[in-house]
Amino acid sequence: MPDHHARPEILLPAVEAPNPPADYVELAVTSAFSFLHGASHPRELALAAHLMGYDALGIADLNSLAGVVRLHATAKKLHLRPVIGARIVLACGTAFLAYPTDRAAYGRLAALITKGRRHDLDGNWQQKGRCDLNLDDLAAHAQGLRLIWLPGKDLSPLPSLCARLPELSHVAANRLYRSDDRARINRLDRAARALGLSIVAINDVHYHAPDRRPLQDVMTCIREGTTIAQAGLLLAQNAERHLKPPAEMARLFAEWPHAIRATREIADSCRFSLDELRYEYPRESVPPGLTPQQHLENLTWQGAARRYPSGLPGKVRATLEKELALIRRKEIAQYFLTIHDIVRFADSREILNQGRGSAANSAVCYVLGITPVDPAKHQLLFERFISENRKEPPDIDVDFEHERREEVIQHIYETYGRHRAGLCATVIHYRPRSAIREVGKVMGLSEDVTSALADTVWGSWGKDMSAAHPDQAGLDLDDPLFKRTIRLAEEMIGMPRHLSQHVGGFVLTQGPLPETVPIGNAAMPERSFIEWDKDDIDELRILKVDVLALGMLTCIRKCFALVKAHYGKALTLADFDHDDPQTYAMLQRGDSIGTFQVESRAQMAMLPRLKPEKFYDLVIQVAIVRPGPIQGNMVHPYLRRRAGQEAVDFPAPQNGDPDELKNILLRTEGVPIFQEQAMKIAMVAAEFTPDEVDELRKAMATFRSRGTIGRLEQRMVSRMVERGYDRAFAERCFNQIKGFGDYGFPESHAAAFAHLAYVSAWLKCHQPAAFAAALLNSQPMGFYAPAQIVRDARDHGVTVLPVDVNLSTWDNTLEPCDGAFALRLGLRQIDGLSRAQAERISAARDEPYADLADLKARAGLDARAIRLIAAADGLRSMGLDRRAGLWQARALRDAPDLPLFGRRDEGAEPAVALPAMPLSEHVAADYQTLRLSLKAHPMAFLRRSLAEQGYVSTAGLATLPNRAHLRMAGIVLVRQRPGSAKGTCFITLEDETGVANLVIWQGIFARFRKVAMTARLLEIRGQIQRAEGVTHIVAHWLGDRSDALLRLAGEPPTALPQPRPGHPRRVRMLPKSRDFH
Amino acid sequence: MIHAANRAAEAAGARIGARAVDCRAICPELRIEPAEPEQDAARLARLAFWTRRWGPYSTPDGDDGIILDTSGAAHLFGGEAAMLAEIQAGFARAGLTARLALAPTRGAAWALARLGPERAICTDPLPALAPLPVAGLRLSGETLLLLRRLGLGTIGDLAAIPRLSLMRRFARAQPQDNPLIRLDQALGRAAEPLDAPEPAPEYIAQVRLAEPVMDPSDWLPGLLGDLCAQLAAADRGCRRLCLSVFRTDGERRDIRVAMAAPTRDPGHLLRLFDGRLGRLDPGYGFDLIRLAAEAVEPLAQAQPGLDGTAAQGLALARLVDRLAARFGAAAISRPLPRESHVPERAETPGPPLAAIPAPPARPDRPIRLLNPPEEIRVLYAIPEGPPAQFLWRRQTLRVARHAGPERIAPEWWRDRPGTRLRDYFRIEDETGLRLWIYREGLVHDGRGGVPRWFLHGIFA
Repeated sequence: MPDHHARPEILLPAVEAPNPPADYVELAVTSAFSFLHGASHPRELALAAHLMGYDALGIADLNSLAGVVRLHATAKKLHLRPVIGARIVLACGTAFLAYPTDRAAYGRLAALITKGRRHDLDGNWQQKGRCDLNLDDLAAHAQGLRLIWLPGKDLSPLPSLCARLPELSHVAANRLYRSDDRARINRLDRAARALGLSIVAINDVHYHAPDRRPLQDVMTCIREGTTIAQAGLLLAQNAERHLKPPAEMARLFAEWPHAIRATREIADSCRFSLDELRYEYPRESVPPGLTPQQHLENLTWQGAARRYPSGLPGKVRATLEKELALIRRKEIAQYFLTIHDIVRFADSREILNQGRGSAANSAVCYVLGITPVDPAKHQLLFERFISENRKEPPDIDVDFEHERREEVIQHIYETYGRHRAGLCATVIHYRPRSAIREVGKVMGLSEDVTSALADTVWGSWGKDMSAAHPDQAGLDLDDPLFKRTIRLAEEMIGMPRHLSQHVGGFVLTQGPLPETVPIGNAAMPERSFIEWDKDDIDELRILKVDVLALGMLTCIRKCFALVKAHYGKALTLADFDHDDPQTYAMLQRGDSIGTFQVESRAQMAMLPRLKPEKFYDLVIQVAIVRPGPIQGNMVHPYLRRRAGQEAVDFPAPQNGDPDELKNILLRTEGVPIFQEQAMKIAMVAAEFTPDEVDELRKAMATFRSRGTIGRLEQRMVSRMVERGYDRAFAERCFNQIKGFGDYGFPESHAAAFAHLAYVSAWLKCHQPAAFAAALLNSQPMGFYAPAQIVRDARDHGVTVLPVDVNLSTWDNTLEPCDGAFALRLGLRQIDGLSRAQAERISAARDEPYADLADLKARAGLDARAIRLIAAADGLRSMGLDRRAGLWQARALRDAPDLPLFGRRDEGAEPAVALPAMPLSEHVAADYQTLRLSLKAHPMAFLRRSLAEQGYVSTAGLATLPNRAHLRMAGIVLVRQRPGSAKGTCFITLEDETGVANLVIWQGIFARFRKVAMTARLLEIRGQIQRAEGVTHIVAHWLGDRSDALLRLAGEPPTALPQPRPGHPRRVRMLPKSRDFH
Repeated sequence: MIHAANRAAEAAGARIGARAVDCRAICPELRIEPAEPEQDAARLARLAFWTRRWGPYSTPDGDDGIILDTSGAAHLFGGEAAMLAEIQAGFARAGLTARLALAPTRGAAWALARLGPERAICTDPLPALAPLPVAGLRLSGETLLLLRRLGLGTIGDLAAIPRLSLMRRFARAQPQDNPLIRLDQALGRAAEPLDAPEPAPEYIAQVRLAEPVMDPSDWLPGLLGDLCAQLAAADRGCRRLCLSVFRTDGERRDIRVAMAAPTRDPGHLLRLFDGRLGRLDPGYGFDLIRLAAEAVEPLAQAQPGLDGTAAQGLALARLVDRLAARFGAAAISRPLPRESHVPERAETPGPPLAAIPAPPARPDRPIRLLNPPEEIRVLYAIPEGPPAQFLWRRQTLRVARHAGPERIAPEWWRDRPGTRLRDYFRIEDETGLRLWIYREGLVHDGRGGVPRWFLHGIFA
C-alpha cells in the first residue's frame, strides 16, 4: 500500500554549481529521522543549507542512519556535499557525533548501530526502536571515525574518554543563548586543550528555521507523553537550534576562531559518500566457473525447452535473445537468478507463486517459471517495461500463498543469513488523523474534540461509513487554540513517525548487510529490517525482491488440491490458455463472486458492459475499475470506443511523428488506462526528460503537493501545445495523469492479476464445488462473506451439505453425493470452535459417534466445544436437532462425576418435552453460529406478508420495466461510500431470490442517514434504472425493519447492536450470539 | 463506549455498548458527556439511603436499581398501593423516573419492576412471574440465549421443567448462569437476605436552652468538648465545623470554620471562632445551639514528644487555621516552584500546607523578582550589544561586568502572538550591586519598534 501522506516534495531550485566553500560546516544536525527529536525533513535542511551558502552539511541522527539517503539524494541535486554520520548516544547518556572518514569506517558505524538495535547490552533480543550501546561497543567500532564529544554539565569524564577513544579529537561547543555561554565555552576550551583536543563549534540544529520551534516542542511533548502546558523545562528555552548562516556562526564564535576552523577540517576529512556503496548481488545462485550471464542463459534455454516441448517458436527465440542481450548490457543477470532461486524453492515446497512487476513480463521470466503468463502470446513486451536509460533496477514482485509466505521468508534468511538479507523498512508518516490526534493531545484537547477536528478539517479520510459532517461538528474553527492545533498538525503531516517493516521487500547482498545499512529488530519475533525504505534502496540501486502474500494463491492451491484428490486432474498455474469461452461467458454475465480482482460490486457492474472475451480484455478490466481511471474519466470513453460508438482517434503533433501517440495508446482504444501509458505520453508528447518523468511520478504518488502538480501541469500542457497538440487535449491528458495518483495500475501488474482472475474464474466456472470449498478454507480473504460464497455455489448447482460432527472435517470438503461431488461444510465454519478440537473429532472418528458421551470421550472434547457444535446444529447424524442437542450437551460436565455424587444418585432423568424449534429460529441461530444457513433465507419468512403488501423480490425485478417505481426489502450485505463517488452510498441488498444494487444519492443519504448506516433489514422505495445490462435501484425512501429479523430469532425487539463499519466479508446478518445484551 | 443514553439519543440511534464515535457518525448532534460510574454508584447509594423513609432497610441493586424492604411498613402510608404511589411521586419530585414493584421476594420484585406492569403488587410470585420472559431472572446474556434456543421463553416454561433435569444441567453454574437458583430466589424457595449498609455516623453536639440567650460563646467550650470526645472515641479528627444557632423566631444562622489538618483539640477549635460569634445577629435570642463536624477524617491518637512539644507541623497548621479564620482561606497561599523558562511563571501560589518539592537550584536566577519588571533606559551597542550604562529609579548605574545574554523565548502556546523574546543579562555595577535586566525583543524581529529594557530582579 503506497503511502498517500508522504511529505510533499518541496521545490528544489535548479542549481548549476556548488556554493564556494564556507568557513563553517554544521555537523550536529538532527533531522526528522531522529523520530520526535528533529522537526525538519532532511530535504528542508539541505535546501536551507544551500540557500544560506553552505557547501557541505552534516547529518547525525540519533543512533540511526535512516535519513542519510534522503539528504544524500537532495544534496546531490543542490550540489551540496552531505557529510554522513550519526549521533551516537550510549546507554549511560554520553553522546558523540561520529563521522566516518571512509567506506570502511562507514561500515563500522553501521555495524555499531546494528549491534545496538539487534541486541541489548546483555545480548538479548532488542526491543523494536531501541538502541543500547556502551563505551566498549563504540571503542570496538571507532576506527576511522571522527568522534566529537557532546559534553553535558560534567566535564570530568573527558580524560577517561580521551584515553579510551583515540579517535576522539574534538569537544563540541554550542552557543545557544544560555546564561553562561561564554564561561562554559571557555571552560570547555581549557579542558580540551589540556588533553590536546580542540573545541568545535556546533549549533545543535533540530530544525531548519526558527519558526519550526513550536513543532519541535510538540514533538518533545509527544515523545515524553506530556502536554505543552505541563512540559516545562523539557522544552528548549528559545528557538536558537536552527540552521544559522556560516557568517552568523563565525560571529557567535568570534572569540574562538579555532572552533569554526575545526568544523571545516572535520568535514574535509570525512569524504565518504553514499555513492561508494557499490552494490553486489549475492553469488550463491551461480555455480563456480560460470558467469551469472552464462548461467542465466543456460537456465533460460533449458527452461525454454521445457515450456515449448514441441519446439521453440522462432519469435520466442528472437525475443529471448533480445532480452538476454538487454540483461547483459544492464548487468542484471544476478537479479533474475536470485528470484529464480526463491521461486524454485517455493515450487519445491509446492507453495504457489507468481511473479509480477516490470521485469516479470519478460519471456525470460516465463521460461524460468517465474511467471505463468506467456508474454509472447499476449504481447506484453519486456522493453516496454524496462528501458535502458532508466537508472532503476528491474522490479519483480513475487506473490506467494498468504498462509505459507513465512516459509519463503525463513528460507531466505537461512540461505543468505541474517547478515546478508534484511527486510526493507517502511517509513510510517504522520497522517492527518494521527497528526491531529497527537498534536491535539499535546495541546490539551480531548480525543472527542480532536477526532471531530480531524473530520472537520480533512474530511473522513480512508473511512467509508463513519463519515464526517463538517458543518455539524459543533466546533468553532476560529478558536485560536483550534487554529493553532490545526496549523501544527498540518506541519506534522508527512513527518516520519517511525520505521516499520515493509510487507515483503527483501534486500540481499553479497557482503555483510550491516556494513551497508544498520539493521534493527521488528516488533514481530524473528524479524529484523534495515533502516532504509524502498525509495532509499532505489536511490542507491540496491537489489530488492518483493516477497508478498496473496490470499487468492492460497485459495487456488487448495482448489487445485481438491480437484486433484477428487477428479484426479493435476492443474498448475501455467496450464491455463486464456481461451475458454464458457469462462468468458460467465464473466460477461457479471457472475464473478469469489474470483480474484473482478468480484467487487463495481467490477461486477462493469463486466456486462466491458464483456471481456479475451485475456487482454481482462487485463483492462482489472486496471480500469480503479479510482485512478474512474477519477480520470477514462472509463466511459473506453467503453464507447470499444462498443464502436465513438471513433478511435489519435491526436498528432503538427510536426513530428503522427503515430507517436498511436504507438502508446493503440491497444487501449486511444484511452490511457495504465500508469506507464501516462508516463509515456509525458515523455513522447510533452518531451519530458527521464528526470522530469521521475518528478511527475513522484508528484503523482504524493498527490498533496499542489504546487508541484501545478508547475508540472503548466510545463506539460505548454510543451504539448508548442508541439502542435490541441490545448484541450493536452489538458485532458494531464487530468488523466492526475487522476492516477497512486491508484493507477501498471500494465504489468494488471496482466499478472488478470491471469489469477482468469484462473479463479475458470475454476469457478468448471469446478464450482471445489472452488467454493477452497474459498471457504482460505478465509479470511476476498470480498464476500461465507454466506454469499455458499449461496453462489448453490446457485451454480452445487449441493451444499450442513456441518455435521460425524461427517465434517475442519476444512470444507467435497463428498460424493448423487453421482457428483457435494460441498460438505467444515467444522471451521462454527464460530469459536478451535482447530485442535475439530481435528481431534475427525481423527478419532473410525466409526460414527453414537451419542454425546461417546463424542466427548473419544474425541476428548470439553463441554464448551460440544455446546458450540450443538448450537451450530451439527449433531443431526446422532438424531439430535439443535434444541435437543443443546439440552443434552448441557448435561455433560467437564470434570468426572465424583463417586458419591454420581448420576445414579440423581436417578433416571424424567423425559422433558421441549417445544419444537420453529424453522425461522433455526435459521436465525444458524446465522448466529455459522454466519450462514442452508435451511432457508430469513427473507423467505417475510415474503408472504411482503408480497401481499406489494413488495418486489429481487427475482421480480426482471419483470419490471425500466424506470418503474417499486418497493422492496432485503438484508444489507454491503454498504459502500467510495471517496470517488462524492457522497453517494451504494448498498447491496439480498433476499431469498438474489441480490439487488441500490444507489443512494447524497441528498437522500443525508435524510436517511441513520437508517442507511445502521439498518440490517432495509425497506426501500425507489426507481429501477437499467443500462447496458446493469440494473440499479435508485432509492427515494428508506426504512429500517431490523426488528423483523429479531422476531424471526425469537428475540425481544430491543437488543440489536448496530453493525460496525467493516469489511463486507465480516458483515453479519445477525450479530454473534455473544454480542447480545 | 456509550454507557447510558436518554430516550431521545436511543431514538436517534445511540446504543449502549457502541462506540461513541460510531454513534456520532450516525447522529452528529449527539451530545456526549463523560461517564462517571463511580459517582453514579455513589449517587445511587445516597438515593438508597433516602428511600429509607419508606422502609427500614435498603440497598442499591446493581447499577440501576434499589431494593427496599418495606415489611410491615405499608400501613403507615395507607396501604401498599398508596405507598407505591407515594414513592413514585417522591422520585418524580426529585426529577427522577422510577419503575416500582412490590413482591414477597427480591427476585420477583426485580422481574416485575423491569418487565411487569406499572406499580405491580404481587403476593404470590409464581403466577405473577410465569408470563414474564426469562430475562426477568437476572441471568447473563449467554444463559438467556441458551434458554431461548431451548425454547424456554418464559419463566413459566422454565418452572415447568422437572427440577432434576435443571439441576443436572446447571448445578455447578454461578447464580447469574443458573436458572434454577434464580428461579428459587424469585419464588421464595431460596433465601436472599438484604445486606443493607449502615449510614455514616454523624458527630453532633447540641444544647437546648430553656431560656433564649443572646450570646452562644458560653456554651461553645462545652459543645466542643463534647464533640471532640465523640471524635476521639472514633479516632477521627474534623476538617470543617458548622455552628448552627436556631433563633426563637425560627431563623437559623450558621458559622463554618475549616482546618488545614484534621484536629480534635477543643482549645484550638475554640480559637477559630474568635471574633466571629459577635457577628451573629441574635434577634430575640437562640434556644438551640448545635455543633456538627461536617468533614471528618481518620486521626489516630498521637503521643506528644517527651519534651511536651506537639508534633512537627502542627503549630504551622494551627497558625494557618487561625489566619484563615481571620482573613479568609483565599488570603493564605504559599509559592510553589513550577517548571517554566519564563521567570515570573516559574512559581505558582499553592495551598499553604502543600508538600513542597525541592526547587531546582538555579544560580543564575535572582532571589528577588520585581513584579512587574521596571522599565529602565539603557545605553548599549545596537543591535545585540551588552548594556553599558542605564538609568533606574533616577539613578545612573554603570555596568562593570556582565554575563549573557540568556535568551528566553515567549511560550508560544500561552503568550499573545507578537510577544517578544527576552535577552537577559546578569550585570554588576561599580558598587557591586548585582541586577538582572533584560531587553525585550530584537531590533528587526518585526514585532514592534525599538526594544525596551527592563530590570527584572535583584541578586542578593
